[in-house]
Amino acid sequence: MKLLTKSTYYFLLLSILAMIAGGVFLYLTIKRVIYEQIDNSLITEKTIIQDQIEQTDTIPDFEASFGHQIEVKLLNYPLRKYQFIKDTDIYDSKSDSFNPFRYIFYSGNSVEMKGYIITIFQALSEKDELLQDLAIYMFFLFFSLLLISILINYLIARKLWRPFYISVNRASRFDIQSGKPLDLPETDIKEFGQLNEVFDNMTRKMRNDYLNLKEFNENAAHEIQTPLAVIRSKTDLLMQQKNLNKDSISLIKSINEATTRLFKLNHGLLMIYKIENQIFHEKKIISLKHITEISLDNYKEIMLLKKINVEMEAMDEALVEMNSVLAEVLISNLLSNAVRFNVDGGFIKCHFDDRYLIFTNSGLPLNIDPEILFRRFHKGSDNPQSAGLGLSIVKKIADTYGMMVTYTYLDNIHEIKLQYRH
Amino acid sequence: MKLLIVEDDRSLSRSINDYLKMEGHVCEVALTFHEAINKASDNKYDCIIVDIGLPDGNGLDLIRELKSNKSTGGILILSAKSSLDDKLTGLKIGADDYLTKPFHFAELSARINSICRRNKFLGLNEITFNEIRINTDDNQVYVNDKLLTLTKKEYDLLLFFMANRNRIITKESIVEHLWGDDVILTDSFDFVYTHVKNLRKKIMVSEGRNYIKCIYGFGYKFIDS
Repeated sequence: MKLLTKSTYYFLLLSILAMIAGGVFLYLTIKRVIYEQIDNSLITEKTIIQDQIEQTDTIPDFEASFGHQIEVKLLNYPLRKYQFIKDTDIYDSKSDSFNPFRYIFYSGNSVEMKGYIITIFQALSEKDELLQDLAIYMFFLFFSLLLISILINYLIARKLWRPFYISVNRASRFDIQSGKPLDLPETDIKEFGQLNEVFDNMTRKMRNDYLNLKEFNENAAHEIQTPLAVIRSKTDLLMQQKNLNKDSISLIKSINEATTRLFKLNHGLLMIYKIENQIFHEKKIISLKHITEISLDNYKEIMLLKKINVEMEAMDEALVEMNSVLAEVLISNLLSNAVRFNVDGGFIKCHFDDRYLIFTNSGLPLNIDPEILFRRFHKGSDNPQSAGLGLSIVKKIADTYGMMVTYTYLDNIHEIKLQYRH
Repeated sequence: MKLLIVEDDRSLSRSINDYLKMEGHVCEVALTFHEAINKASDNKYDCIIVDIGLPDGNGLDLIRELKSNKSTGGILILSAKSSLDDKLTGLKIGADDYLTKPFHFAELSARINSICRRNKFLGLNEITFNEIRINTDDNQVYVNDKLLTLTKKEYDLLLFFMANRNRIITKESIVEHLWGDDVILTDSFDFVYTHVKNLRKKIMVSEGRNYIKCIYGFGYKFIDS
């Protein structure tokens, strides 16, 4: 969830809770005030009537007062002095319904010790309507307040977090290989300033580490070449010696194999570094179809031997602007895979159209996830002669020229698809 | 053939020296830039093998120096860096070939032979070995004066064998020679075997002798037995 959404969400949730609590409290308070008012008016009225009865023993003319319904009963016997105020419902025959009323009951004795009862009713329906209206107004008021505050909150948050989002966006597009700095926006918010500083320092450190590591790797790869040459030369010499016994031969053979493997590995890594460092920067217009034809020629005898049938389906010359060495390495690696992992009597199909170059070949089932094929040192076979760098070199070259390379496998048919034009 | 090896790594230069001596060459070793300059000015070499990274100078500068002294010998660059720029520069300033470390001696030998052939026998580009005759101008092979039809790879292979007569050649070096080292071919040893077999068959069909011996565990040897 986005920060803005989340903060708005929480704000909304808490505001609604607060407003419900506030609303209920307000409603209850208003209701209590209204009831107190009613009760006071009932008591006042009762007191007026009570005073009159107790002073004059007459029932006053109560028609004019407050709009209450008043009932007074005079009795001939004394009563205990008693008073209460209560809610009740009274049946109204006109509307055939019960209407709420609040009433005061008072019993007392006159000067002559004759009992009397005063009951004063106050209809509540009007008050309830008032309360209802109030509640509705309150609801709308609260609701619009809520909307306005959410909007304000949202706008403020958006403005406040803007530098943060810009920083995150720039940081996510950070490319360790390009020497460009992050270029984070200036901000007057202290925390974001700190964040930017952290981002800046981190990326600078990352780039330094990366460059150091790269330099180290390159140097290591280059420095390994001479000792490798020494080992290879010594084994070559050793081999030429007369009267070697079987054990020595097998030892020399192993050394030779391991050296070859190390050499292949180093060679592949150096190739990747060179692509990364854009050593092959000279470009020219090249026909991938032409390169494929030349490369196929290199494997002609092998394919003849394996009885691999080659099918060309060229709708396009597949012209691209790229480095000629890289183009050869790219095609050669793809074809070498197609030949290597093919089966006897299999086929290779080369298809070219205005956007794609597709190499399809028969082969053995794939026992690993196609996704990781392009990773370095990942081998599709357990052959020690393979360094597992071929496809990652392909990927590197494709990336360099913004080409898309995908691999699919279905029913022993392998397909490499290179989108060389968008 | 008289050769000068300019290589600062003692162990490697000694190995190169030993191997090329076995091949019948006369070799001298220079460990530094200045030693190389001195030796080259005193002697005349058929081919100078130059390492690019020297402790007291750049191999490319050495080549420039040699060329300005009107050295007629061939020049083969050895380099730890398979750098395209170095290669192009080297070839431009007059080197004949470029070999990246690590290399097989068979390959080195083939390159030196090819350089010397080009430099020495101008117009007479023919290699003869008993009944086999190779014309490197038009890439034709004759056995008992009968033209042999070889594929490109078989022809390259024969030439490679010729350059390394009486030496054991590993299958790895054949693969690298025939297919280049940018290509990683795994089951290529079988292909080497098949190519060798076909080549042998073609020579023998033309009543040539079987010179290609299989050496257990290593590879092959082209030998006049």
